[in-house]
Amino acid sequence: SKSLSTILHQPHLLEHSWTFWFNNPSAKSKQAAWGSSIRPVHTFGTVEEFWGLYNNIHHPSKLLAGADFHCFKHKIEPKWEDPICANGGKWTISFPRGKSDTSWLYTLLAMIGEQFDNGDEICGAVVNVRAKQEKIAIWTKNASNESAQLSIGRQWKEFLDYNDSIGFIVHDDAIKFDRFAKNRYTI
Amino acid sequence: GDGDGDGVTSRKYTRDFLLTFSEQCTDLPVNFDIGPDIAAETLMSVPIAISHHVDRESY
Repeated sequence: SKSLSTILHQPHLLEHSWTFWFNNPSAKSKQAAWGSSIRPVHTFGTVEEFWGLYNNIHHPSKLLAGADFHCFKHKIEPKWEDPICANGGKWTISFPRGKSDTSWLYTLLAMIGEQFDNGDEICGAVVNVRAKQEKIAIWTKNASNESAQLSIGRQWKEFLDYNDSIGFIVHDDAIKFDRFAKNRYTI
Repeated sequence: GDGDGDGVTSRKYTRDFLLTFSEQCTDLPVNFDIGPDIAAETLMSVPIAISHHVDRESY
């Protein structure tokens, strides 16, 4: 049988592997196509690796305005064009600049710890850091699956202890209508 | 837990449980290697060894 120290040092496997992606704000202006500077940073599959990364990278309040930082399931790219994301959408919450760190961490922990009842529907999460605000979004797979989207939105608000209403925008609508896209669901 | 118990998934961890690992896991994964096209200082909160060349165009 295993010794105690072996058990203590057994890494805690996550249900899924996840990849951190970073969109470098300084590189963005040099890139012709938006999104072309999104790069995978590292893929992790254990609780220990998650913290090893999280503890050594800037939290949203310390990222430069213009940065996008993503945590998506391994092999799902944080892009509308990704086949798994293509029919999806996203729930979004906006925070004043410098105020999203705790919510971002709690979002990550809820995802990697499989705390969402409809976790299979989740592609990943992103934080967009801008001059005056930080926006966190959870991307999902099938926007038309209303009950799953509502469940995810409801649980996300619980996990963050967030009480204002939040909206779900379908990626297709965002592509067509840009900033004028309307919420498909509100909760 | 890991296991051959009830057959239901699996690797669910509560926030409180995950948070207990925060302070003991402070080292980057051993195979961590930031790509040359990411400006490390914009992402990393600690200095790391960077192998790619320095862009001197601003001088």
